[in-house]
Amino acid sequence: MNDDRFEERLREAARDYHRPPETPRDAMWDAIAAARRRRAESKVFVLRPAVRWGLAMAAVLLVGIAIGRLIRPGVKNGTVATDSTASPRSGSDVAYGVAAVQYLNSTETLLTGFRADARNGRVDTLFIDQARELLTSTRLLLQSPAGQDPHLKPLLEDLELVLAQIALLPGRRRDTLDVDLITQGMDQQSVLTRLRTAIPAGPASAPRTQGAL
Amino acid sequence: MDEHELIARVRAGEPAAERALYDAHVDRVYRLAYRLAGDDELARDFTQETFIRAFQRLDTFRGDARFSTWLHAIATTVSLNGLRKTKRFRSQTTLEAAEGVVSGARSAEPDLKVRLHAAIDALPDRYRTVVVMHDVEGYTHEEIAETLGVEVGTSKAQLSRARAKLRETLADFAGEWAS
Repeated sequence: MNDDRFEERLREAARDYHRPPETPRDAMWDAIAAARRRRAESKVFVLRPAVRWGLAMAAVLLVGIAIGRLIRPGVKNGTVATDSTASPRSGSDVAYGVAAVQYLNSTETLLTGFRADARNGRVDTLFIDQARELLTSTRLLLQSPAGQDPHLKPLLEDLELVLAQIALLPGRRRDTLDVDLITQGMDQQSVLTRLRTAIPAGPASAPRTQGAL
Repeated sequence: MDEHELIARVRAGEPAAERALYDAHVDRVYRLAYRLAGDDELARDFTQETFIRAFQRLDTFRGDARFSTWLHAIATTVSLNGLRKTKRFRSQTTLEAAEGVVSGARSAEPDLKVRLHAAIDALPDRYRTVVVMHDVEGYTHEEIAETLGVEVGTSKAQLSRARAKLRETLADFAGEWAS
């Protein structure tokens, strides 16, 4: 077949692909105005999922810290006494465990989506926003008892690096080289595999804390 | 009115300016959304969400690129993410359905179109988007590159690969097309 003729016929036939009807300007404008009004009215209460998750995470950590201070033996006036006989899973450990599992699930979802997008040559801005939120949570976790876990700590440190790289991607124009470097780094450190291994099996809505860390 | 001035007035909160900016761009955004979605309801949803986000984030538009490029970048992101969730475009005419169309000298054109449209539907998202933007809607590779945040060479390469896939899928039309 003549290549030029193929291209020409292809372009001709493609013009009818999903041929749009007349633009419903007024109907869409009305819908846009209504949606913006609704969102403005509920602005105080509606938060993006990543922000909601970040706040929930911070709340869980704070509760964990509070529980830990209240029930941990040997803590007086903020001074921690060494006690080798303390229970290995105190209330604060459980709280940190819940937070860690939620964090790992969210990070796994983000990195899986990011990698898929990177393969397609683009990165959604939402990934960058979510990476920023998760980066804060990573740093909180690293400062928490969960960050002292010998298995979890190296993973959290690698995740901190990956999330920081994603969060620092320019907002408008993403350089494919930067994106490739991030995915290469993820592959070299087997970040996703280690992350999935660290997430305990079971329904995401009820994360198990036993053996999570 | 100059577009920069119009944008400044939108930022200042003038409703009439918002409508004017919408009117200036809505046709191309809706066309792109419809071409990608193949469904009026989805195309309306994607167009509306595009403008809602654009008005919401207008402060982040610095004017380095053209406003239309910035807006179309939002439109493609919204549309492709929306399609990923719904997968409704996959339920459009399939290749299998197209197999049943009777071919002949006079009916070759409609048959070809059905087969071609099914073949475009079956392309991976990144190729389909470039085909729709370039071959269907007439965007330049420079515009596609800016909109999708890729290099111009990537856009060209993806179009070339997409065409190769279409050629492969439509190989049995070779004789009719050559005649």
